[in-house]
Amino acid sequence: MNNKHVIIIGGGPAGIEAAYYLANNGIRITVFEKDEYPGGNVKNWAKLFPDFGDASVVRKQITEKLKHDNIKFLNNTKIENLAWENNNWIATSGSEKYIADVTLLATGFEVFDAKRKEELGYGIYDNVITSVDFEDMYKTGKILTKEGKIPERIAFLNCVGSRDEKVGNHYCSRVCCITAVKQAIEFKELVPDAHAYCFYMDMRMAGQFYEELYRKSQEKYGVNYIRGRISEAAVTIDNRIQIKAEDTLSALPMKMTVDILVLMVGIESSESTTKICTDNNIVGPYGFAKSKSLFGMDNFSEKPGLFLAGTCKRPLTLPETIADGRSAAVEIMNYLKS
Amino acid sequence: MKYYDLLMQDVRFREASTACMNCGVCTAICPAAEFYKYDPRLIMNIVQSRDDQKIEDLLKSETIWYCGQCMSCKTRCPRGNVPAMVISVLRRFSQELGFFIESEKGRQQFAVKRTVGDNIIHTGYCVHVDKVSPKLHPEQGPVWKWYFNNAEEVADRLGANYNKDGAGALRKISKENLDEVRKIFDVTGGSQLYENIEQFSAEKAKSLKMSIDKEGLNNEYFFHTYIENSNNHQK
Amino acid sequence: MTEKKHFWNEYQKEIADDNYFYERSCIRQSFFPGSETAFLNILRDELGLTIIDDPNQHTCTGIGYHSDVVPFETTMTVCARLFSLMTDAELKNYVPSCVTSFGVFTEVVETWEHFPEELEKTRKFLREATGREFKIPENIAHPSDIIYKYRKELKQKMKYQLVNCHTGKPLNAVEHIGCHYGKIFSKHAVGGAEFPQVLAGMIEEWGGKVIDYPERRHCCGFGFRQYLVMSNRGYSVANTKKKFESMEPYKPDFVLTNCPGCTMFMDRWQYTIAEMEGKTYDDNQMGIPVLTYEELTGLLLGYNPWDLGLQVHQVQVEPLLDKLGIKYDLKDKFTGKSGTYLGEPEKPEYLKVSYE
Repeated sequence: MNNKHVIIIGGGPAGIEAAYYLANNGIRITVFEKDEYPGGNVKNWAKLFPDFGDASVVRKQITEKLKHDNIKFLNNTKIENLAWENNNWIATSGSEKYIADVTLLATGFEVFDAKRKEELGYGIYDNVITSVDFEDMYKTGKILTKEGKIPERIAFLNCVGSRDEKVGNHYCSRVCCITAVKQAIEFKELVPDAHAYCFYMDMRMAGQFYEELYRKSQEKYGVNYIRGRISEAAVTIDNRIQIKAEDTLSALPMKMTVDILVLMVGIESSESTTKICTDNNIVGPYGFAKSKSLFGMDNFSEKPGLFLAGTCKRPLTLPETIADGRSAAVEIMNYLKS
Repeated sequence: MKYYDLLMQDVRFREASTACMNCGVCTAICPAAEFYKYDPRLIMNIVQSRDDQKIEDLLKSETIWYCGQCMSCKTRCPRGNVPAMVISVLRRFSQELGFFIESEKGRQQFAVKRTVGDNIIHTGYCVHVDKVSPKLHPEQGPVWKWYFNNAEEVADRLGANYNKDGAGALRKISKENLDEVRKIFDVTGGSQLYENIEQFSAEKAKSLKMSIDKEGLNNEYFFHTYIENSNNHQK
Repeated sequence: MTEKKHFWNEYQKEIADDNYFYERSCIRQSFFPGSETAFLNILRDELGLTIIDDPNQHTCTGIGYHSDVVPFETTMTVCARLFSLMTDAELKNYVPSCVTSFGVFTEVVETWEHFPEELEKTRKFLREATGREFKIPENIAHPSDIIYKYRKELKQKMKYQLVNCHTGKPLNAVEHIGCHYGKIFSKHAVGGAEFPQVLAGMIEEWGGKVIDYPERRHCCGFGFRQYLVMSNRGYSVANTKKKFESMEPYKPDFVLTNCPGCTMFMDRWQYTIAEMEGKTYDDNQMGIPVLTYEELTGLLLGYNPWDLGLQVHQVQVEPLLDKLGIKYDLKDKFTGKSGTYLGEPEKPEYLKVSYE
């Protein structure tokens, strides 16, 4: 297998994990990353759920794996085109062409652009931020309003860009509920006297230790959970945010003013995923990559030699993404042997 | 036939009612939900239960008459439901089945029919200056009273053609045009709905020993439905 | 465009550029007949466009439909008759003066697109009742869409700007869109459903400043049966009150409305609230003037305020005219078509008016 060349599109957790295991088996790997640094969306997080692990440490552990003699890492290289020609995969970036026996698509996800939910005021009102903005702010050690004030009230809204026919995303993004729990705790640790409200429809705590964290956020931190989706956010004269929702458990409409509204933005297919999958006729619903079968063939696409790993297929957590990269490596090795 | 199947006969119900996940965005911005004991989400929930008894109770309830048809719920629903439209369909069947007279707010359909409903057939307008009398509309204020009392002078100064033949604002709508509108009402079920409202209301008036008359506003039952307020509707 | 960047800001719907069929609004004709006159004059005299005002038109039944005394089949067929008048006039661009009508027509056409059997049923009904045939309009635009489309051309002809002539500062405007303009189908609203640009675009083009206040998108409170029946009117006034309470701290110089019903309610309920609670939302106990977009356009073009019909507003507009630097003749205000002076309206108890 030493003469085989595998190209991996995407230098995030899935792509790197696959690269590392393939490289350890003597396979020549080229990893393409469109951004300057590897690590994908992990860079968006300060701490990781559910154990508040330092995301920068985890990111370093992941990206260290690229330092391997069999791995060539090309940053700032966006693959614009991928095609099967003359029994080879040809990836094109600008004027450069790369030839490979196998391609692994690990193009990851993009966060939902919250501006599309115009009624929630993101990009219009200063104190409406996204969960990604919250992480950035948290890295500075402070959560402050645009005016530099310590918030007395903060609201987190789940399902922004998920479970929403109006933006074309019917699915659940899976990571936002637990991120809201995590961020509410982080906020309460910084500002213990402030009020934190979390607006949700269903708290989907389907990962290990998620439910415990949810409970802890209530018991230890006093986070308030309100079952209702925020319908509208508007700005008040003092630049606070007025929100309208229904407390569906008591069947009462409610209006509340908060200092910061955090929108828990969902996971969408990345532009590269949709483009490459469309070109190769392997595009599934919502522009994600479509695997051959969820049961046992999940790293295969319908195209021989074109493999899939990570969140280019669907929303996944970070541990799931890493495991899926490793799984793809096994499938690719088997494919190259046969 | 089950009530749910009846509702499904209306094309608007099929369009406006998909599965509701009870997120509450409709109720959150509903002008009626802030004012009345009212929750459009719960209406969607009852309808999707397909429970015959619950739907019948709804058709006889005050609840379906609280919506103001602003359609704000349509813009926001993440499942593409239109509660306001579902309510419009419920109101249709409440009137077809005669259930509307069982509620105070439902009985008001008689007042709406005798005003807007009859205006359409008799004048070709839903609303016309002459029909907005200061007596029935004290909130219109003294300037309206002045305008109402000098309608032709004022309206025509503003370019209208008040109650006269030809084109223009407030023109008299000709008999030929009114006849066509009336025929449309006859063939499309509009006249039948008017008759339903009249007939069920007459029964109710009789049971209340109130005068109702064949037409017009000068009868006890009209004022009963136009003015009665048990003040039992608000939160 | 507004200073703030809205996602849908740039969304432009198709608005036909000429040859319109005008459908009058029951409410606008009755309460603000001068607005319809002004609109036709602006199109014909200022912009040189063709618009037909057919004497054979009638209500679309919209108010009856939304207060549920008129079945949808009937409304669809009445709309079809109005379309047949447009078809007879060999026109394709339908312009309903009322926002409720606009909502009804877009809903009817959308229904026909989704359910072709409903269109066939309507054609059959119309044939049976009247022998008429019709074509579906190629374009349905609200009159405000057309004013918006030509706002730059109109600005060239304007004598006044939305600027306080005493201070040189832009006037503060509240714009109220009217629910059925964009909330039913966002694609039919210039700038989308949440922050339609149709009125904001006019205000900003003509020198004013748009206020963004918390209850901006809330309904005026008409509520159809919630106003039509006297005992329900508490609903209607409560919603208008909520809006005015929310806009009060921003000190608006005037309210600009898209829908004739909203214009009337936001004007009359200010009077009612003043008389019931001794409360107005301005500093001078006179209320905040509420204008239709036709009235505003006409004023800035230099039309006589009393030919536009500003005398039929309960909240007096003179404070706004003074800020704009528009001169007016008070004797002319209450003069009728024949030139006769009609006398003054009575004065409210709390809401201040001045007829001197």
